[in-house]
Amino acid sequence: MKSNWGDYMSLRYEYTVETEDLAKYYKLGSFVVKALDGINLKIRRGEYVSIMGPSGSGKTTLFNMIGGLDRPTRGKVYIDEVDISKLDAYELAWLRARKIGYIFQTFNLIPVLTALENVMLPMIFAGVRREERIRKARELLTLVGLGDRLHHKPAELSGGQQQRVAIARALANDPAIVLADEPTANLDLHTGLEIINLLRKMNKERGVTIVTATHDLKMIDVSDRIIYLRDGRVERIETRAEVAVEAEME
Amino acid sequence: MSNQKEEKVIRKSTWDVGEVSFPLGEAFRISIENIKKRFARAAITSASVMLGIAFLVSLLLMASFQTVSGQTSGTEPYMYWLLFISLLVCGVGITNSMLIAVAERYKEIGTYKTLGALDRHVLELFLLEAIVIGTIGGLVGYFGGLIAAMIYAATNSSIGIGKAVTALGLPNPTIPLVGMLPSAVALFILGIGLAIILSLAATIYPAYYAAKLNPAEALRYEI
Repeated sequence: MKSNWGDYMSLRYEYTVETEDLAKYYKLGSFVVKALDGINLKIRRGEYVSIMGPSGSGKTTLFNMIGGLDRPTRGKVYIDEVDISKLDAYELAWLRARKIGYIFQTFNLIPVLTALENVMLPMIFAGVRREERIRKARELLTLVGLGDRLHHKPAELSGGQQQRVAIARALANDPAIVLADEPTANLDLHTGLEIINLLRKMNKERGVTIVTATHDLKMIDVSDRIIYLRDGRVERIETRAEVAVEAEME
Repeated sequence: MSNQKEEKVIRKSTWDVGEVSFPLGEAFRISIENIKKRFARAAITSASVMLGIAFLVSLLLMASFQTVSGQTSGTEPYMYWLLFISLLVCGVGITNSMLIAVAERYKEIGTYKTLGALDRHVLELFLLEAIVIGTIGGLVGYFGGLIAAMIYAATNSSIGIGKAVTALGLPNPTIPLVGMLPSAVALFILGIGLAIILSLAATIYPAYYAAKLNPAEALRYEI
């Protein structure tokens, strides 16, 4: 019995995200669009994974499935070994609040709230005490380099700064995974690089698992693994070592 | 393999699913901020409520005044029809502006949900907004109607301010639901109550629709 428990614990800590034959079909009139068609993935705790592929390859759909934002047509998604298709609305809300941090291409900050309040929002849903919310939000905003912009509203911040607030917000409840959907697509080259480095820093220093959907080639340098999607299927998976070797051969 | 699957099912219980909360105070504060941000439209929506209520208050008050000065026997049946139609028109106006207010915030609603909001939290945000808009519209409408009725009384030689003030203090049984109270109080309660009900009724459908959206859909929405 005891050894079973040990097995269980080690399993629990091995993969943060696992998908099994994951598929999502959309009906467009009489047409069926296979946005995802049988995806099998295992993402380890603390990994930095990039999902690459042309637009329409299913990146965002995969992001939505892993994030519990949409239900798959077929297959399963496990977050920390829990099959999220079995969760009810309340448990899903809890999953989104506590287990997953989201970062979007368009930043998606709440426009009427200040940077500090935006970072505090997921902690409100998670039922964190007010003093603790303020302390944590300040700490995170300082960490992303916005310690002097706490009371600015999103409209008073640049795109890069808004994305930093979004990163701080994503980390507010110490999630198991941070999902970033094209986090650099609306930023210039330099700012995009800063955001990538910040994500990498969070991944290294805080051990957060990061999954980004992107077609930004700058992301390759920092990723542990790159998953290439095409037409809703995994085309190939490269680890960083392989990418480095390829680069050397060229 | 099958063994592994069973294990995963068991593991669902290992998550200690905790509380998901959204205190009313926080929701109220965000609603007020939303109204401030979209002040022009909130004001127009409120104005629509205001006009409806002002019409109701002034019509029923004028009837009270006429009764006191012995001109008529009170509210005529056709007046209720007028009131009903005017409130209906006002309700359609509010529903329309609430539909737009919700539609332009689909993305924001999706964002709230990714942060852990439940459907009812989203509903709460919009309904609180509706209550605030309704209350303001009702208050302004009540005083608007009162002033209009007083002007009517002052310019009508057979009534005059004196009789009008007396009428405000007397109950008017033809006022629906709260006719036993002094007219001024009865219309205050009726006016604000109707304003809130009207505003809520107009908001429930759009807000419910928004709350039910699945987050992926809401986030995808572009206007």
